Amino acid sequence: MSELTINRLLEALLEGNQSLAVVESRKLLENDVKPERIVTEGIESAMTQLDAKCTVEQFNLLEIMLVGRAVMEVMKVLYPTDGSPPDTKGIVVTGALEGDVHDLGKNILRIVLTAKGYRVVDCGTDCPVEKLIDTAAQEAALTIGVSGLITTVIPQVRQVTAILSERGLGHIKVMAGGAALKQATAESLNVDFVAQTAFDGVHYIDQILEVK
Amino acid sequence: MNSIERINAAVSFETPDRVPVIAQIFGHAAVLTGVALGEYVRDGELLARCQIKALEHYGYDAVFAVMDVNVETEAVGSALEYRVDNYPFVKSYALSEITDLDSLSVPDPYDAGRMPELLKAVTILRREVGDEVLVVGCVLGPITLATQLLGIKKALYLAIDKPESFDRLLDFSTDVIIRFGTAQIEAGAHLPIVFDPSASPAVIPHQFFREFELTRLTRVFASFKKAGAKANWLHIAGPTDPILPYYPQAGVDIANIDYNADPLAAQQVLPKTCIDGNIKPLSFVEATPEEIASESARLLNLFADRGGYILSSGCEIPPESKPESIAAMVSATR
Ligand code: B12
Repeated sequence: MSELTINRLLEALLEGNQSLAVVESRKLLENDVKPERIVTEGIESAMTQLDAKCTVEQFNLLEIMLVGRAVMEVMKVLYPTDGSPPDTKGIVVTGALEGDVHDLGKNILRIVLTAKGYRVVDCGTDCPVEKLIDTAAQEAALTIGVSGLITTVIPQVRQVTAILSERGLGHIKVMAGGAALKQATAESLNVDFVAQTAFDGVHYIDQILEVK
Repeated sequence: MNSIERINAAVSFETPDRVPVIAQIFGHAAVLTGVALGEYVRDGELLARCQIKALEHYGYDAVFAVMDVNVETEAVGSALEYRVDNYPFVKSYALSEITDLDSLSVPDPYDAGRMPELLKAVTILRREVGDEVLVVGCVLGPITLATQLLGIKKALYLAIDKPESFDRLLDFSTDVIIRFGTAQIEAGAHLPIVFDPSASPAVIPHQFFREFELTRLTRVFASFKKAGAKANWLHIAGPTDPILPYYPQAGVDIANIDYNADPLAAQQVLPKTCIDGNIKPLSFVEATPEEIASESARLLNLFADRGGYILSSGCEIPPESKPESIAAMVSATR
């Protein structure tokens, strides 16, 4: 029975049909399927399928936004308090730096990470570097994800790793993404990783955890 | 030939004395003149003065009365935050929910927000350059204005969930654009360029462009022609290959292509439309003047036989660009 409905949930998610996805996930809960199982077999496998479809050349933003919205609604059903599981794989602090208001890509990153079991603390757009780092320190973050769409933020990006180590937070990894930053190399930005897509970023964090 | 005659020749596929060159210089004019960007975008007289200085410095074929992407949304009711050395941005959107649409009205360009300052800039520029150099005003495209009124995320979900409501928002945006653009032409602009970054295939599928944007752009461009625009110029950044075929139908005379569009593919789908572009904007910050010169030469060569070409960057030349690199692009046509 649950086998069948998890498949239905998966289909509803991939269709980006949020109301149907919510109905299916409620049914699963009523049938005593554990939220953890719904996440791994429903949500994570939806994300894996989407990941396989989305290459840098073949990227349908709206499709991801729709699946993402359905995923976030289901998470709220599963974890009514704050929409994310009590024990997460790790915390990722995201933000776009001062002077940059673009946030579509950063929102997608948040959705993909949440769906893959990470907790995301988003500092929003136009965020000073210090605030990003304070938040990462407070939250004991695993990683900071900087999104940059305009080139003028590059000097700020270059500071992040240095400030982290000054403050004894050198263990926090820094990854960068977004249209402007993905044209640069990790060395030139002074970060640990540059992601071409949001999924790329998740693979990178997954890999940090495996190494640990 | 003067600049206007030269551009006219390119638009009508006749032979100009040299290929026209237009540097998409907006905020860079402030930086070049030592004026704070935050002042530049709020003061029409200052903006015009900086544009004239930049024109004297570089000697290209057009000046721009362009502030930033928030002029219309501010006039409709969004609150902006201004910065000293940066473009402003939206702090709160005119529409918190789409259901508030009925409470909005089309702003009066002579009264609302910074619209009167932009009109002032247009008038001064035209007075200064007359019919020698092209005076370009600026409006957003319908999709971009819609995303600037409601916020881009909400607007895109609305397009999917309630296409009828999104249609109404686009119609309102179109009315705002036509009123503002027409006022610019009356104030002396030879044409208002239509900026529509959010209609880019980087953001929406090309089917959305066809279904939601095409008829509205057609209406905008028809109104501008009727009001006396010298030509219709459409500017959409990003990988536009899939939407270029729709441009002639919309009434586009000059099609801007960004660095990630293919000039040869554009020539094929736009055999009778003048094309401008497509040097990578970032290269004016990072590359050497020699590299800009050789990229310019490559483009001039690609378009040599066909004509119908204006040498330009793919998008805005970043404010922090190197003046020598901009000069290198301009000299390439001489
Ligand atoms: C939509 C858009 C806007 C919208 C933004 C709406 C919003 N809330 O986001 C509006 C109209 C407001 C806007 C405004 C401006 N824009 Co704009 N905009 C764009 C546009 C067309 C698309 C960007 C986008 O959302 N792409 C879709 C998303 C999903 O892609 P993405 O961000 O790359 O994200 C993906 C990955 O990169 C990844 N990712 C993103 N971040 C991160 C972070 C991490 C850690 C990881 C792992 C992954 C990751 O995840 C996503 C999915 O894989 C681009 C052009 C283009 N084709 O890119 C210009 C562009 C980014 N804008 C540009 C400019 C110049 C501006 C303005 C300054 C214009 C002006 N003169 O006033 C203003 C002000 C901007 C400011 N102060 O920040 C330039 C920047 C050029 C430069 N100098 O660097 C661009 C490149 C256009 C151009 N060719 O010139 N813009």
